[in-house]
Amino acid sequence: MGTAAVWRTGGRAVGTALIIAALSASPPFRLSAQGLSPRDSALHALNRLGYGPRPGQIDSVARLGVLRWIERQLEPERVRDDRVAQRERAFRLLEYDREELAARYTEALQERRRMQREMARTGDTTRPRGGGAGAGPMREFRELGGELQQLAVVRAALSERQLREVMVDFWTNHFNVFVGKGADRFLTPSYIEETIRPHALGRFEDLLIATAKSPAMLFYLDNAQSIAPGSVPPMRRRMPPPPPDRMPRGINENYARELLELHTLGVDGGYTQQDVMEVARILTGWGIERPQRGAGFAFHAWAHDRGEKTALGVTFPSGHGMDEGVRLLKLLAGRHATMHHVSRKLCARFVADEPPDGCVDAAVDAWHRADGDLRAVLRAIFTSPNFWAPQALRSKVKTPFEFVISAVRAVGAEPDDTPRLAQVVARLGQPLYLQPAPTGYPEAQADWVNSGALLGRMNASIALAAGRLPGVSGNLDAVVPLTTHHAQLTDLVNERLLGGAMSARTRVVILEQLSSIGDPQQARVLAVGLALGGPEFQRQ
Amino acid sequence: MTISRRLFVKSGGIALFSLGLDPLFLARAALTSVRPSARPPDRPVLVCLFQRGAVDGLNMIVPHGEPLYYRERPRIAIPAREVVDVDGHFGLHPSLAPLKALWDNKSLAAIHAVGSPDATRSHFDAQDYMETGTPGVKSTPDGWANRYCRHDREHADTPFRAVAFGPQLPRVLAGTAPALAIDDLQAFGLRVPQEAARDRLTRAFEQLYEGAATGLLATSSREGFEAIQVLKRINPSQYRPANGAEYPPGRFGRALLQIAQLIKADVGLEIAFADSGGWDTHVNQGSSEGQLAARLRELGLGLAAFARDLGERMQSVVVLTMSEFGRTIRENGNSGTDHGHATAMLALGGPVNGGKVLGRWPGLDPARRFEGRDVAVTTDFRDLFGEVLARHLRAADVGSVFPGFTPAPERFPGAMRA
Repeated sequence: MGTAAVWRTGGRAVGTALIIAALSASPPFRLSAQGLSPRDSALHALNRLGYGPRPGQIDSVARLGVLRWIERQLEPERVRDDRVAQRERAFRLLEYDREELAARYTEALQERRRMQREMARTGDTTRPRGGGAGAGPMREFRELGGELQQLAVVRAALSERQLREVMVDFWTNHFNVFVGKGADRFLTPSYIEETIRPHALGRFEDLLIATAKSPAMLFYLDNAQSIAPGSVPPMRRRMPPPPPDRMPRGINENYARELLELHTLGVDGGYTQQDVMEVARILTGWGIERPQRGAGFAFHAWAHDRGEKTALGVTFPSGHGMDEGVRLLKLLAGRHATMHHVSRKLCARFVADEPPDGCVDAAVDAWHRADGDLRAVLRAIFTSPNFWAPQALRSKVKTPFEFVISAVRAVGAEPDDTPRLAQVVARLGQPLYLQPAPTGYPEAQADWVNSGALLGRMNASIALAAGRLPGVSGNLDAVVPLTTHHAQLTDLVNERLLGGAMSARTRVVILEQLSSIGDPQQARVLAVGLALGGPEFQRQ
Repeated sequence: MTISRRLFVKSGGIALFSLGLDPLFLARAALTSVRPSARPPDRPVLVCLFQRGAVDGLNMIVPHGEPLYYRERPRIAIPAREVVDVDGHFGLHPSLAPLKALWDNKSLAAIHAVGSPDATRSHFDAQDYMETGTPGVKSTPDGWANRYCRHDREHADTPFRAVAFGPQLPRVLAGTAPALAIDDLQAFGLRVPQEAARDRLTRAFEQLYEGAATGLLATSSREGFEAIQVLKRINPSQYRPANGAEYPPGRFGRALLQIAQLIKADVGLEIAFADSGGWDTHVNQGSSEGQLAARLRELGLGLAAFARDLGERMQSVVVLTMSEFGRTIRENGNSGTDHGHATAMLALGGPVNGGKVLGRWPGLDPARRFEGRDVAVTTDFRDLFGEVLARHLRAADVGSVFPGFTPAPERFPGAMRA
């Protein structure tokens, strides 16, 4: 493993070449000019770099100094994260590597085929007992799917390395795959653990190449099926041809197109349909080993287009095989259009749905200077005046995932090991790893705010306040102690759950609601539920 | 005629836009004066039913007049004597017999050999293409029904304009125009057991959002609370279907019942969407009886109950079934069928040019098959959807609903009465 740091997660080693960034003792930027109080700036940073404050965290970040906290978040390897490490041990998924998941998936498919054959033989079309899930491999595999989602929930809710979790979510979404598509059912876990997570705060180029080589992406966007026209796999030459819907027929442009449009240059990044076709030719042969052999990345020389290609004005001489693709990816990672497209998306996530040019330009400059080191890019965004501008505060609406996680964090609760809290996120409209479109989930509020979704958030808030939200446990007494004094209760809720953001109007409405309630337990459910389900908490 | 007048209004609005006036506002204002007589009950409604998994069009609308059909499907073909014949060449699967009366009164049509120009045989890709309305383009962010709602804004004043029945908003309705996903009308709203407490809490949240929310949070929450009010008034739990209609048990029947209820309640429903699953019949598909027959029975009973329940109201309603692709002409080794290309879709309702099998039938001749094995597509699904949008919902600009494609009247399959 050489000098690479070794990350132990749940008893499983993930080799990671972590770039140890130079310790910057004094941040280059001062907040005082923006006129934010230490608590306001701490809340803003906790909301944007993370999934909102846990009880007491606004004060602790304010005491530490928000810029110092941000610097620590940019170096997650220096932040202790014992609770997550402990919780990860319960996730069997992390003990299985891709080969083992592939084997389990194959077993599950075999079980299903056996059942189908049985159905065909007996003519019984009703599902067999046990809901068709079987008792063995199929059921187990489904449970692993639930673990995959829940693991993301647990990490986001509990990790001290909040920015890392946010960036993992950002890149998972930027380089979206769909866990419901065929082999991605078993390829997605290693995609998250080995492709995305180690590179989340690394260099963009490394991340881009890792996704391009990932079996999950190669399958999801069909590059594994893209072969030079007329090429035939060596072992197939003596065998009967497979059924037409299984047989690759030639070049498939899907990955090439999304690589340019979504992953790198952006739709206005100055490329043509001809470029898409040439990029697809360059990437022919980038494929996947058979599941029986572990379904890893494989370059199939037989499928590679051996001719000369010209993409984005650059000539790729013939005969360089896989190196052509690597060269192309490096070229893309270094293009200004890529830096601008990705920086703009980062700013949309961290600053505003429609990000001001200032922070985007600052991010692009940093990208140029630091050769795509994502920490430098993020640091430029977090120290940009746009990030701290008064109009940026509370300007973004939380996605369903952000809403659920931030609510659980606010009341100091913990998700359990079942997929139930992940299912709450799904019911609110954002099932994890289940966005079929390669665009990933949208970031802008228009896509998340609708009447049904808001009612769902209100219901989840009331349930959480009453201790009835599935898959969550916590002790509200430690955060908002019971009291018969309604004004005191409302002030506590404002300070501890909303970070002081409660509007005068909200305070009046909550007090009105409490006026006829004597039972302190009931009063707290109502005050907490209204605060988390109300408009202030939907924003970050 | 309405369409041209609307087009005129729209282009006039665009011209005025350069003077700083909002074209949508103008279009809306102009429309109110153009169509003041459009009472709510006349508002056209489109109900889309997605058969997920790719329905076998050949066993749904059976080409029993073609010997090749029987030769290719020795075990699963529907015997000619059991087909519900409609024109001597085609007939309905026997499970669809409850729809024969609707066929005979010319409110039900089938469109055969319809599908996507994209060759994919992946459920995932093909469903995506059919819902975004952009075959071959994976990155389209929104669905065609949502784009329709965005471009034709005149009904945007009701939260019930576009409703999907299910736990999540499907791709077809995803996008920036407001759309509701309702799992169950009775459970919509705040989940508090006692009615008095529920009303109180609802009012409290309503006040919170009235006071503190701005922009989308404000409008969306208002729509949500309006919807709760409306549902309280129409009281879904008390609903009894009319004319003795009996919906089949299960999610699909329940979704149809709730759609009928919303239509009758005049809450401004314009597009409803529901799913039906279980059509991916690779193994032991069955013939007149069996797996597919059971799914078609639910479909037939559901549609028949829906039409019966709505009665005269069907004059302004069109139900359109759709499925991502069809299935292989030849049966496979497991007495089932594999992923194919073109399929058949059904259109039901007063405005439908019914009693016919529409679309150009390419036949089952191997030379005319798609890739030598599947029914060829002769009607692009966007021409069918486009026709329904233009002639039934009177969409002003169908082109903007299907980017990169222009639905052309000369290619419309003729599913709507002229």
